[in-house]
Amino acid sequence: MNIQKVISGFFFILAMTTNFGFFYGDPANLDYHSKYELFAAIIVNLIATILKLGDKTQLGSVLLATSLVADIQLIGAATVWAFAVYGLGGLNLEATVAVISMSGGALLANIVSVLLFIGDTLKSKR
Amino acid sequence: METNSAWIIIHRMRTPLLVIILTFSISILGLTLIPGQDDQGNPYYMTFFDAFYFVSYMATTIGFGEAPYTFTYPQRLWVSFCIYLTVIGWFYGIGNIVALIQDKKLARELGIARFRSKVRKLSEPFIIVLGYNNVTKEIIQRLSLEGIRTVVVDKDEEKIEEIELENFIPEVPAISADTTKPQTLKLAGIHQKNCQAVVVLFEDDIKNAKIALMCKLLNKKINIIVKSTTKENTEHLRNIGIRHIENPFKIISDRLYFEITAPYIWLLEVWVFGHILKIRKKEFLPKGKYIICGAGRMGRALAEGLERAGIEYVFIDIKSSEYKKMKQSAIYGDAEDIKTLLNAGIKEAACIIAATKDDMINLTILSTAKKLNPNIYTIARENSVEDLSIFKSARIDKVYILEKILADYTYNFIAKPLTNRFIKLIHKKDNRWAMGLVGKLSATIGKNPLLFEITLTPKEAYALANALKEGIEINLEVLRRSRANYKQHNKILFLLYHDEEETILLPPDSLKVKYGASLLVACDEEAKEDFEYVINNYYELHYVLYGEEATVGIWKKCKLLG
Repeated sequence: MNIQKVISGFFFILAMTTNFGFFYGDPANLDYHSKYELFAAIIVNLIATILKLGDKTQLGSVLLATSLVADIQLIGAATVWAFAVYGLGGLNLEATVAVISMSGGALLANIVSVLLFIGDTLKSKR
Repeated sequence: METNSAWIIIHRMRTPLLVIILTFSISILGLTLIPGQDDQGNPYYMTFFDAFYFVSYMATTIGFGEAPYTFTYPQRLWVSFCIYLTVIGWFYGIGNIVALIQDKKLARELGIARFRSKVRKLSEPFIIVLGYNNVTKEIIQRLSLEGIRTVVVDKDEEKIEEIELENFIPEVPAISADTTKPQTLKLAGIHQKNCQAVVVLFEDDIKNAKIALMCKLLNKKINIIVKSTTKENTEHLRNIGIRHIENPFKIISDRLYFEITAPYIWLLEVWVFGHILKIRKKEFLPKGKYIICGAGRMGRALAEGLERAGIEYVFIDIKSSEYKKMKQSAIYGDAEDIKTLLNAGIKEAACIIAATKDDMINLTILSTAKKLNPNIYTIARENSVEDLSIFKSARIDKVYILEKILADYTYNFIAKPLTNRFIKLIHKKDNRWAMGLVGKLSATIGKNPLLFEITLTPKEAYALANALKEGIEINLEVLRRSRANYKQHNKILFLLYHDEEETILLPPDSLKVKYGASLLVACDEEAKEDFEYVINNYYELHYVLYGEEATVGIWKKCKLLG
């Protein structure tokens, strides 16, 4: 067992699950989506990104790319939320749906990332 | 991946980034969970945006105060904890960045990246010079004047800094790296199309051979100029197909041989390297007994030259390093030394050669010898070009500078291939022939003829090359004609003609030149200007060919313009 693999695997999957946790629920109603979960998703995704930095292999580059996509989408979601509340004076339906669908996009990227990670692990002989 | 430097940065920044993210997220989360009080006394919870905003300016120690409302005590408790947490994290990150800037490994990688891009951007032909010292410095300077760029690799960091301070124009890209490694040579651009040659002139023969072999394997087409001082090594280098092998000791040996037996061949050779075309009286070597001080590579090479010339000689074995250790001084000439000189027959010797590795010892040997025999002819080996003035003022009859000879030959091989060929050919001639040529040169041109090479291509001889392409026959006599009056000739002599089929020393006037051939020309300043006009300008060429002005337009008389 490789402790580094455990840690990175833990964060990759946690990034996906927290993301899913936020995304799951009625996309038009923010009551079903916890802001704490979005916060957790952003932080865990950032950590996962940093763990992926510095891997020179082809797979490492693709993993990093998926993570960056997820980061941008999640931070985008948070920005839209903040902008809607403070800039537009409240969340309307359009902003709510945008926040949720952006996190959905991030979720897709995270799923790809986890699939790649699992595939790599299965191929590994150690 | 191309740039290692980017990877080094990413690697080193991983932990600091993690620390910053963690400390930020803990602080932000805490702030959103702790209840506060707004200005009306109602309880409220900070939003994520409020918390993020507050932590951002707190962690960076900007500190705008408590926002959006004054904090309650539970909040302050948490904030005081966060201050230390985030500020430590932040400083750790900044500290790491600063350390990274000073990181040697990173600086080196950045240097390599810069060097690589500089070498790639070279569009002119260039040569790679391995090792930076007095010899290569001179080569670089002279090649720069010819428009040939150089790239330098040296193991020593200080030498590279020296190059940077030297401010060569155009710039000479340089890097410190292990010259015996193939990666280094690749980095220096050995695979590039415009890389013409590699110059390997280290002291160590084995190292030279190793690098030469490596260059040959990396790029078959490249010219390799390599120094080799032993026969076995030279043979070995020849076997792997290296054509230009330089042995400074052999060159000196040959020079001494020619100086004694055929002074005019010697004169032609040194004239090519900038001597005036006249032997001064004191430059004639005496015939008689020679004393060679120092029996190293140099001493033995000189002895070989003397032997070939049939001159009697004796050795005085002085090893400079041992001498200095034994006597604790670099001044030759105590009672014991004088005895040695007397035993060697200094009184009746004609010439003494000081050929040790130490300049000071060489100088003192010769001054002692002069005291014992005022008429003796003195020759010194000078080891470094730097203290030339001392040797000049010491009134030594002749000075051999190994470094200069090496630089001269390397430069000629790279920039003046015909001159190089010329020297090889005159070595096979005899003194009378050389005397004749010197006489002819000084009679037609004067004591200080210019020497230059030209290749008959549109780049260097536009009109002539195009005329030759058209099939117009032009011989060397035409090229000597004056621009002012075609019946007269300029002060010009062709020393060597070379094309794909033949090489002719002193080509006759009737020789018809071919397109792409090259010529070694001796002439005076005015003739050079005329010659360059004639070969580059249609009208001038037409005039010297047919003796009439070329006219264009409705008459279309200019045959050259078609």
